[in-house]
Amino acid sequence: MARPGIPEETCKRILIAAGAALLLVFALSPFFWMLWVSLTSRPDFLFTKTVEYTLANYTNVLTSPTLHFTDYFRNSLIVASVTAVAVTLIASVAGYAVSRMRFPGRVAIPLFVLAMSMFPPISIVGYLYQWFSSLGLVNTHAALIFPYSALTVSLALWINMSYFAQIPVDLDRAALVDGASRMAVLFKIVFPLALPGIFSAFLLVFIACFNEFLFALMLTIDPFAQTLPVGIALFEGLHGEVPWGNLMAASAMATLPLVALTLIFQKYIVQGLMGGAVKG
Amino acid sequence: MRNKIAQARYERKETRDAYLFLLPLLALVIVFVLFPVLATSLNSLFRDVTYLARKFVGLSNYASLAADFDFQRAARFTCLFTAAAVFFEAVLGLVFALLLNESFRGRGLLRTVVLIPWAIPTIVSAKIWKLIFDYTYGVLNFIVLALGLSSEKINWLGSSISAFWSLVAAEVWKTTPFMVLILLAGLQAIPREVYQQAQIDGARMGRRLWRITLPLVWPVLTIALIFRTIDSLRIFDLVYVLTGGGPGGSTKTLSMLGFEYYSNDSFGRGSAVSVITFLLVFAVTIAYIKLGRFERSLKK
Repeated sequence: MARPGIPEETCKRILIAAGAALLLVFALSPFFWMLWVSLTSRPDFLFTKTVEYTLANYTNVLTSPTLHFTDYFRNSLIVASVTAVAVTLIASVAGYAVSRMRFPGRVAIPLFVLAMSMFPPISIVGYLYQWFSSLGLVNTHAALIFPYSALTVSLALWINMSYFAQIPVDLDRAALVDGASRMAVLFKIVFPLALPGIFSAFLLVFIACFNEFLFALMLTIDPFAQTLPVGIALFEGLHGEVPWGNLMAASAMATLPLVALTLIFQKYIVQGLMGGAVKG
Repeated sequence: MRNKIAQARYERKETRDAYLFLLPLLALVIVFVLFPVLATSLNSLFRDVTYLARKFVGLSNYASLAADFDFQRAARFTCLFTAAAVFFEAVLGLVFALLLNESFRGRGLLRTVVLIPWAIPTIVSAKIWKLIFDYTYGVLNFIVLALGLSSEKINWLGSSISAFWSLVAAEVWKTTPFMVLILLAGLQAIPREVYQQAQIDGARMGRRLWRITLPLVWPVLTIALIFRTIDSLRIFDLVYVLTGGGPGGSTKTLSMLGFEYYSNDSFGRGSAVSVITFLLVFAVTIAYIKLGRFERSLKK
C-alpha cells in the first residue's frame, strides 16, 4: 500500500537531482578554486572584488631558479616511471606463478605480501633512513624507487591475480604441452590477454608513487632528488608570506597530468581499484 | 613407474620455476618492508640517540611514551580523527554510490567527476584546503561573511576543535571517491530481480534501502572500511601540510610524532611509536574482520 502524497517516482527524481548537484559541487569546487587562484594576480580578489587575470604565476613557477619546479617534476617522473615499470614486470611474473602453477605456498604467499602492505610507512622509513645513510643512498632516486616498489607491489600482484584468473587456463596449458617454455607462454599468451589488468596496475602504481610524501620527505634532501609533493609542501615565500598564486599554479601543474591520466584511462583505474580492493 | 618419476620430476621443476618467478617480488618485500619493520621493532628496545652510546633498555621507551602527554594526545587524536573521517566517508560514499547506481542522464559524467579528488595528490589537496581555510584569503571566510553567519572572520586552523574538523573535511573530500567506487561495485553486484520483487511486494524506497541494499553491500562496505581505516590511522601528509600538527600540537598524529622523534635523531623512541602504530593498525583490522563475520567470505 503506497502512502498518499508525492508519488515515489517524483520523489526519486528530486533526490537524484539534488544528489547530482551536491556531487558536482563537492568534487569540483576545491579543484576550480585552485585553478582560479592560480590565474589571478592577488589571492585576496574575493574580498577586494577586483580580479586581474594573468599567467604570471605559471611563468614564474616554471622559470624561477629558486623554486626548482622542473627539477621536482623530473624527479617525480623518473621515480614514478621506473617504479611502475619494475613493479609491473615483477608483479606480472609473480601473478602468473600464483594463478597458474602448483607449488607449496601459492595461497600463503599473496596473503603474506598483502599483510606486508599493511605496515604503516612510519614503521619502515626510520630504519631505511639509518640504513640508506650508511650506504650513501640518501638523496638519490634509488632511495625512493626501492621502497616504493616494495610498498606498491602487493597492489599490483592482487590486481594481476584477479585478471589472470579470468584467462582460460587451457590456452597456456595447450601451449606448454606443445613444448613452449613458460617464459614464452607468459609473454606471448598470458600478458597480451591480461594487458588491461597489467595496465591498470601500472597506472595505479605510477599515481601512488607520484603522490607519495613521507618517504620522499625523509629520504631526500635537496631539489636534485626531491619529488613534487615535497617541493610543494615546503614551498614557502620570503618573509613567511605564502605566495598563494605561485603555489596554486605549481599545484595545478602537478595535478593536471594526474587528472588527465585519470580521465583518459578512467576505465582501467576504476577496474584496477576494484580488482585490488574488492577481489583482494 | 617411469611415468611416476617423470611426473615427480615435472612437479619439482614446476615448484622450482614458480619460486623463481616469485623471487624478485619476495626479495623486494622482505628486504624493504619485513626487514625494516623487524629492525624497527628491535630498535624500539634500545636507547638510540646520536649523542650517546646505543644501549639496550628493554621496554623503557614504551613506558616513557605511555606516561608522555604528547604521545597520549597523538594516540587519541589519531583514533578520533580516523573514526570521524571514516564515518563521514562511509555515509557520503554510500549516498553518492546509491546516486550513481541509478540510471539518469549525465550519470557517466558524474562517475568521471567523482574521481577528481582521488586524482589530486594529497599534498596538493592539503594546500588547497589550507587556502580554503586561510584566515585572510580563504573562500570559507568569504562565504561565512557573505551569508552573514559571522560578523568577523574565523580562524579555522587556530583552535584545536575547528582544526580537527577542518582536517576531517579535507580527508573526507580526498578519500570519498575510493568509497564510492568500491560501494558502487558492491551495489552493481546486487541482482535487479531482488529490487523488482521488493517493488512488487510494495516495499518503499527507505525500507528497500535498509532491508535489502545495506545488508547486501555490507561485506563490500566492511572491506572498504578496513582499507580506509588502515590508511587513516597512519595518516601523515595531509596533517603535516594542513595544520603542521597545530595549534599547539593538538592535531599531531602518531606518524607525525614518530617522524618528529626520527628528525631529532631519537631513533629508539621513534621506533617505539612506529611499533605502537602498526600494532594499532593490526588490532583494528582484526576487530573489523571479526565484526564483519568476514572469515566465511574469505574462505570462499
